[in-house]
Amino acid sequence: MKILVDNVWYSYDGVTYALRNINIYLTEPGIYLITGPNGAGKTTLLKVISLLLKPTIGRILIEGVDYWNSSSVEKTRLKSTIIFVHDKPLLVRGSVEYNVSLGLKLKGLSSNDIIDYYIKRYNLSDVRNKSIYKLSAGQLKTASIIRALVLRPKLLALDEPFTFLDNTRVKLLIEDLLNLADKGSIVIVASHYIYRDLVEKCKGVIELFMGELLSLKIK
Amino acid sequence: MVYLDLNEPIVNIVIRSLYVSGVASLLAFITAIVLCYYYSGRSRRSVDLIASIFEALVGVPTTIIGLLVYYLLYPNGPLGFMRLLYTPYAIIIGQFLVALPIAVVSLIRQFYNVRKSLRELILSLGLQSSRVEIILVLRELTPILASTYLLAFSRCIGELGVAMIAGGAIECYTSVLTTTIAVQTSMGNFEEALVLGLILISLTLLTAILIKSLSKILAGAFHYE
Repeated sequence: MKILVDNVWYSYDGVTYALRNINIYLTEPGIYLITGPNGAGKTTLLKVISLLLKPTIGRILIEGVDYWNSSSVEKTRLKSTIIFVHDKPLLVRGSVEYNVSLGLKLKGLSSNDIIDYYIKRYNLSDVRNKSIYKLSAGQLKTASIIRALVLRPKLLALDEPFTFLDNTRVKLLIEDLLNLADKGSIVIVASHYIYRDLVEKCKGVIELFMGELLSLKIK
Repeated sequence: MVYLDLNEPIVNIVIRSLYVSGVASLLAFITAIVLCYYYSGRSRRSVDLIASIFEALVGVPTTIIGLLVYYLLYPNGPLGFMRLLYTPYAIIIGQFLVALPIAVVSLIRQFYNVRKSLRELILSLGLQSSRVEIILVLRELTPILASTYLLAFSRCIGELGVAMIAGGAIECYTSVLTTTIAVQTSMGNFEEALVLGLILISLTLLTAILIKSLSKILAGAFHYE
């Protein structure tokens, strides 16, 4: 998957810009880190790339197609393999299993094996049938992450995925993200927590400051 | 033991009360869901405006609503040709107008907040369609929907103004629990009025238990503890 962020500006209120003149071209699968202080525009950039937000100025090209100026059929096709994981987990009323399988259900797919695999891998078997209202912050975060992993996206954007995770789960997550990248996906992670494993094996680092691209290092 | 000296079996009055209030509150509930779903797709400002309008309407006394319905359905009134005045349908129309504002107020902000998060969630899962949005929204709001219906029903079954003015409290036809209580009290039959009051409270409580149990069954169908 090739992603071109072409001269993108984004404003929430039409007055100040959260992103200014961002130009990024990602062509190779791998993990890309977005770093920067609070308010740098990391979440906004992630959401723009994940097609959750339409740029105020500029274009997002996915596989050469200008997403926001394409037909609804094309939009559906391009959007279907792009998944975004929020920093604050967005879960619905129901059990852990229901939430983890939600993405698959909404797409009319079913894959109990992969759901079982990830629930077991991330040690959620004991709370599999529990209501999400009874989970800890770390368990909620884990559930929202594995809901994305079971979908095997071609582009996976994660906003602060390591918050609330214990060291074991962080290690598992990094392994799974590297695995996903090895299988041809682009994984973009915005995080304050810079883990050595991730930095050593990532494909690129995007540094933002006050909405502008400070540096873009692609290996 | 109190023997109720009424001109009509109490069970008939109870069934009529449940029927008119049940239908009116159900219609108000469904209309509120449709209105709230529609307006919840708009801006926060629009939602707050709609909510404020309906919050003000909640305070309109039921006697005024009864008067309005009377005026509309009066033989020389705009809807007089329908010949609904002093019929159970007049009470249903009036109680619908009584229950609608409270149902809307109970739901609209919840719809807005839930719809906003679910839309974000659906987009984040790589989906475009809003086909599933309504189902997810209703599912997410199941407990609120149950409470809203109870609120609407309680408001209907406990109101007097509409039933008296638009219904006329006609024995064996439009008399309901509240009008019978009022009539018995005015006749000095306090014991009868008290018993009817206890029946009314019991009905409301039983309905609450029923609706809450139904809500739990629906929640249980979603497979979680």
